[in-house]
Amino acid sequence: MGDFRKTGKGVIDTQQPVSFTFDGKSYSGFKGDTLASALLANGVHLMGRSFKYHRPRGPVGAGFEEPNALVTVTRGKGRMTPNLRATAIEIYEGMMASSQNRWPGLGFDIGAFNNTFSAFFPAGFYNKTFMWPKSFWDKVYEPFIRNMAGLGPAPTEVDPDVYGAVYGHCDILIIGSGPAGLAAALAAAKKDQRVILVDENVNMGGSLIGAGHVSIDEKSASDWVAKALKDLNKADNVVLMTRTSAIGYYHDNFVALAERLTDYIPEAQIGKTREKLHRIRAGKVILAQGAIERPLVFNGNDKPGVMLTSAAQTFLNKYGVAVGKEVAVFTAHDSAYSAAFELADSNVRIAAIIDAREGVSAELISAAEGRGIDVHIGSVISKTGGKKRVRSVEVYEPVHNTQKTIACDALLMSGGWTPSLHLWSQSKGSIKWDEAKGVYLPDLANENCVCIGSCNGDFGIKAALDAGSKAGGGRKVYKTDEPVFGSGQVFDHLPNYIKPSKTKAFVDFQNDVTDKDIKLAVREGFKSIEHVKRYTTNGMATDQGKLSNLNALEIAAKALGKQAPQVGLTTFRPPYTPTTFGTFCGYRTDDLFEVTRKTAIDPWAEAQGAVFEPVGIWRRAWYFPKAGEDMHAAVARECKATRDSLGIFDASTLGKIEVVGPDAAKFMNIMYTNPWSKLGVGACRYGLMLGENGYIYDDGVVGRIAEDRFHVTTTTGGAPRVYRHMEDYLQTEFPELDVWLTSTTEQWSVIALNGPNARKLIEPFVEGIDLSPEAFPHMNVREGKICGVPTRLFRVSFSGELGFEINVPSHYGRAVWETLFAAGEQFDITPYGTETMHVLRAEKGFIIIGQDTDGTVTPQDAGMSWIVSKKKKDFVGKRSLQRSDLVAEGRKQLIGLLTDDPKTVLEEGAHIVADPDQSIPMDMLGHVTSSYWSESLGKSIAMALVKDGFNRMGDDLYIPMEGGVTHKAKVVKPVFYDPKGERLNVV
Amino acid sequence: MSSDIVFDQAVEIPDILKSGDVVTTLVGERTRLSLRVKAADRIAVAKALGITLPAKIGKTNTKAGIMIACLGPDEWFIVGEKAKYSNLYNKALKLSSKYVMSVTDVSFRNVAVELTGPKVAEIVNVGCPLDLSLAAFPVGKCTRTVYEAAPIILHRLSEDSFAMECWRSYAPYMVGLMTAHVQGQRV
Repeated sequence: MGDFRKTGKGVIDTQQPVSFTFDGKSYSGFKGDTLASALLANGVHLMGRSFKYHRPRGPVGAGFEEPNALVTVTRGKGRMTPNLRATAIEIYEGMMASSQNRWPGLGFDIGAFNNTFSAFFPAGFYNKTFMWPKSFWDKVYEPFIRNMAGLGPAPTEVDPDVYGAVYGHCDILIIGSGPAGLAAALAAAKKDQRVILVDENVNMGGSLIGAGHVSIDEKSASDWVAKALKDLNKADNVVLMTRTSAIGYYHDNFVALAERLTDYIPEAQIGKTREKLHRIRAGKVILAQGAIERPLVFNGNDKPGVMLTSAAQTFLNKYGVAVGKEVAVFTAHDSAYSAAFELADSNVRIAAIIDAREGVSAELISAAEGRGIDVHIGSVISKTGGKKRVRSVEVYEPVHNTQKTIACDALLMSGGWTPSLHLWSQSKGSIKWDEAKGVYLPDLANENCVCIGSCNGDFGIKAALDAGSKAGGGRKVYKTDEPVFGSGQVFDHLPNYIKPSKTKAFVDFQNDVTDKDIKLAVREGFKSIEHVKRYTTNGMATDQGKLSNLNALEIAAKALGKQAPQVGLTTFRPPYTPTTFGTFCGYRTDDLFEVTRKTAIDPWAEAQGAVFEPVGIWRRAWYFPKAGEDMHAAVARECKATRDSLGIFDASTLGKIEVVGPDAAKFMNIMYTNPWSKLGVGACRYGLMLGENGYIYDDGVVGRIAEDRFHVTTTTGGAPRVYRHMEDYLQTEFPELDVWLTSTTEQWSVIALNGPNARKLIEPFVEGIDLSPEAFPHMNVREGKICGVPTRLFRVSFSGELGFEINVPSHYGRAVWETLFAAGEQFDITPYGTETMHVLRAEKGFIIIGQDTDGTVTPQDAGMSWIVSKKKKDFVGKRSLQRSDLVAEGRKQLIGLLTDDPKTVLEEGAHIVADPDQSIPMDMLGHVTSSYWSESLGKSIAMALVKDGFNRMGDDLYIPMEGGVTHKAKVVKPVFYDPKGERLNVV
Repeated sequence: MSSDIVFDQAVEIPDILKSGDVVTTLVGERTRLSLRVKAADRIAVAKALGITLPAKIGKTNTKAGIMIACLGPDEWFIVGEKAKYSNLYNKALKLSSKYVMSVTDVSFRNVAVELTGPKVAEIVNVGCPLDLSLAAFPVGKCTRTVYEAAPIILHRLSEDSFAMECWRSYAPYMVGLMTAHVQGQRV
């Protein structure tokens, strides 16, 4: 392999050599090279194997649109990135890159047998072949397909790198820094507005980079770019962002930018932000993304060495790399000529220009001939020679039916230009078909957004510059001496004398879709381009139609006998370029993935070795195991200690809402089923809340603090929903009420003390409250002080024991808890968690919303008709309770279950049947909602929702389990412990 | 109150946030009130309390030791130094019989941090999607917003200084997000 480097060209720094490895072999490039340009400079074109047929492939493009040269770069444990485009990643000292989708090696690849048998793998092959036998899918077909298909291997280790995410705002966001984007930024910079200019490349300037032969306003293009960037850098109101891809365009000019920060740095440290997602809200968006050259669809167009003409031009001008020594050019567009001339002027031999068109301007032909280049008009390429690199082309002239073979080591192709409409389409801007250019162009904007330059079909440097200035609010008219951009012809078919069955002309290189696949899809009845895409996989994966879309459309349209716009255009989905999952996560990983709310007392519980469970986004202490205890033993001990003496429980997560205002009682009457007007100040009442549909929505104890003030509690998980529910009714249905709601959940830490010794413990610490049973009966609330801090002290019980819920300011919660806990030693005070709380309440038959109810349970179903006021004119859900199906007999009702074998604890969720001998499927009566071992009763207890449950008291029901075991249980009232409630009155 | 009963906000500011481009400090004990007043009574209630209740949503009034922000059409959020304003709640409570209003003590619901430094907007924008340019978010503006998953109240104290408050259980998350950002920049 010779040296393909052309000195004196491009943005590379030849003073800084960089060594790297590709598939284990060492190479050398220069700082500023991409992996692809450095490999090409070493004469390496073979960089990957194709997706389906495992055909050898080299780069087709020179940038982010590249479909073939996908590589994996690794930096050590967990830092392996697959599917990077070799044309878009910068090399750094010590970089380790490898090819993908080949085994055992890139040169010899077993999977290439697919290619030999490719006639058996047409479009829809998987759908047709792997349908039966069905049982083969999991074990045989799917693993096989996943193994064969596919790009690079997915990483399996945790990514140790850090990713960031920020929000930003600007008045004008310009995407793309070619001539159009730069001119727009220069104009916008002069106004008093915030401008952001982004480009996915390392250098700004786009097509102007290395375009030394063109002058703009009497300056060379490079000097003009340098001056423009200098001016923009100086402007305070302009932010320039390179290595940044605009990946998605969302409503109201919200644009996602992915910035790569460390991938080009040798030894990039773990901990430094690798990539950052900028979520930008822009006043106006200027899209200057340019156009992507379109490949030509001809037999053998995928061999390494076959690439876009513009790619060869970029490799030459930007990186100083000649893609070959003897280069053939196949074109249907004038623009390929100037690229060929640039190569020729850099001492690359142009083997021939093959032009598919009949009419080509005399000037181009004479300019070619002046450089000694043969031009074959009205000719096509019928096949290419070479295996892992193109070695020759066969030029076919249909009119004379002649063929001629020309030797070459690279072949450039140009089928015209496709404006990049990806972001425009994501913004829901409409598009229109331009028959003359054979392209879709932007039509009507949906956002404050414009497309300028070649992505708007305005080709050429001057056209881009002038459009840019105008879009940026300027009026500058630029002068350039660029060659005429010219025009081209769109071919929906290139003639060939070889039988179609013997040819392979690729439309989508990445997905190995050929022209025949598209035609087959049409023959098999797919008429919409969206269906053709799914059947053939054309334009899927990272390509997203960048190279393949319009060629596929032309072929499908011809096969259907329709015009292209009638066949449509596939949807462009974000992200525009493949983006790491890390970038989408930003900082939200591990502890920051989601908020974990902790109470003030949580650190104490953690120090005690509590086991936690999530409740909503709270974490709550579940149980407090002592050494050697499992959950069952710990919970049994906690239950017993609480009933025998004293248990302490952190109830801080209970939702709290302060309902305040002259109409507070009126509002409470509307929101709850039971009445509130006569509740005295200082008294508490259990409240039940329904949804509009009449089903139980939430519950909780409410204390009346003053005439116009209620301290409402809700379930832990229900707090935000209940608050919204209340605000919703207040603001939309009852705005005339003078009442306000404030969430006070976190204002208070709540320490629940339950057990016969509860009062004795707090007595010495309480000031200003008479704790005697006469002065402070059950279901009352008092304000005073405990341990010197203000408290709202509730005498309530969710356990059936004498109980207090001590509300203290959160920032003092832990200190009060620790003080009480220390003093409780004399009573063997025992901390308990949510599991014990659940057992104690189930023994008393108290329901848990969401466990014993499931959103279809009425108060009647739950055996709670007593709490539904008959006198109140209205409350939320009242009318629904009259619905015929809600008053019907035989609804599922909440009952208790006692198992025949008292040691058997039923499984929550288990189904219940009347006749265990019935053949499957049995008639299900309902399911077990709550089930526990009750240490206090020495037997298991359960609650269940059962059809017509109230009429089954005393009946035996059956709970068939997996494995043929069936449990028998008796229906009882769901109150198992102290049914008269005498334990509340312990003195 | 015994000496064991210590004030504990259960969040710490890590050293990395205490120096550099932006300095973050944890705000100590404050009196915080949520005050709701019918429009007709706004001026009278303000006068009786000896404070100013700004009429426009997002506006604040800050003077010796007290900040009053209008967060909604009838809603004010008040943050005062504890020593000076611990009695404000009781004062407001007494007015409830005379005016159509509500006052709720939320002193211990929130945890606040103050951030100061030239790059303060960048740190706020890590989690807050609002435009923090001086034109869009002038000094003195206060609003409810979010810091990624944490609902917050954001108040601009000066060109390069913000106060951020959230419910106390969200504070470790809020500070954690800032820390992750600053760490990623500094390594």
